[in-house]
Amino acid sequence: MAAPEAEIDVELRERAVDAIAALLHRLLKREEPITEDMLMAEQLGLSSSLGLELLLEVEEQLRIQIDVETMDPERTRTVGELATFVAGHGRPW
Amino acid sequence: MTALDAVSVYTPETSVPIENLAGPLGLTDIQVRLFRRFHGLNEVRLDRDRSLHDLLRTAVSGLTALRGKENRVHYVIHGRAMPVVVPYPENPLHDVCRELGLGHALTFTVTQQSCASGLLAVELAGRLLAEDPVRDALALVLTGEKTFTRDAQLLPGTSIFSEGASACLVSATGRRDRLLAYACDQRGEFDIEIGESTERFQREYRPALASVIRRATSEAGLTLDDIRLILPHNVNVVTWQRLCLLLDYPVERVVLSNVATNGHVFCADAFANYRTALEGGLLHEGDHYLVAAVGSGNGATFSAMLFQH
Repeated sequence: MAAPEAEIDVELRERAVDAIAALLHRLLKREEPITEDMLMAEQLGLSSSLGLELLLEVEEQLRIQIDVETMDPERTRTVGELATFVAGHGRPW
Repeated sequence: MTALDAVSVYTPETSVPIENLAGPLGLTDIQVRLFRRFHGLNEVRLDRDRSLHDLLRTAVSGLTALRGKENRVHYVIHGRAMPVVVPYPENPLHDVCRELGLGHALTFTVTQQSCASGLLAVELAGRLLAEDPVRDALALVLTGEKTFTRDAQLLPGTSIFSEGASACLVSATGRRDRLLAYACDQRGEFDIEIGESTERFQREYRPALASVIRRATSEAGLTLDDIRLILPHNVNVVTWQRLCLLLDYPVERVVLSNVATNGHVFCADAFANYRTALEGGLLHEGDHYLVAAVGSGNGATFSAMLFQH
């Protein structure tokens, strides 16, 4: 069951990319640049439990609730894919 | 054919909000919020004044179908996650059996598959009964544990355990619920002390569980569309949401309602969720349902059992 297609809020997506990158720097203690095409688990070493912490902090920073029920980890592997999902499946508080 | 004749569950009345466990378990504020937001855990059940002996005894006492049939019980098997639970030479399992007229039964404990040991116990009970010369012999499968150490209270970043117990009467010839298939993968490479990394275990967890679920379904000659319900282990909600995406199975048909209020009760989740499904009218005669469990510790075990109600 794939996540339903959702309209993307471009401005929200941009903020999501910035928030995700900043949080990854902090959570992974990484100083090198993080780009949209990077695979979060394979390239950056993000574990699934840290991945949830990342989502929680993204929700709080962007003041949205992400529809995690429809979030397929296989389709949200890069920073950019996650930001697109967040922008399409985040409801304001 | 192995059948579950009756199931009784004991859940302690005392509910403890997970915030109250933050201090004793050393959880940070964000860890507590993660448990609530994504893992779906709000509170756990604890019974500080009751011993393991009390838990087991209460579960067996609640099994009304056992009354008058004690002499037919040839085997009592305790499926348990923790390998050591009382100081030697105490043995609450044997004490409970003697007290409840089951002292004659062959009684033992299996812990080798951690939280999947409850399903292992059902499978063993079925095999023993199939070889028993007495056709109407019965087996009693028990689960039940105390959260007596930090390791027994918390799976970091994954789940928080509750106390509780269950008793299940198993026969070789019962009309329901009949065991149609059992799939079990033991993955020694995920041993918690000397095994592969936690990250690899986390990565392979859902595909490995999906694999045994699909295998049990296929061995029963069914497809996932035929499965009315999945009775999960209550490890957390987000794992099941993602597993359902992987399986293409509707998460609404996974009995997750006990996660928020009962936490993960070691080997008892399957039986507690069975009672919830039964009492909620979610199972009808002839329905197929699947029970899933994962044990981790000295290696990991992924198990799935398929039943017809």
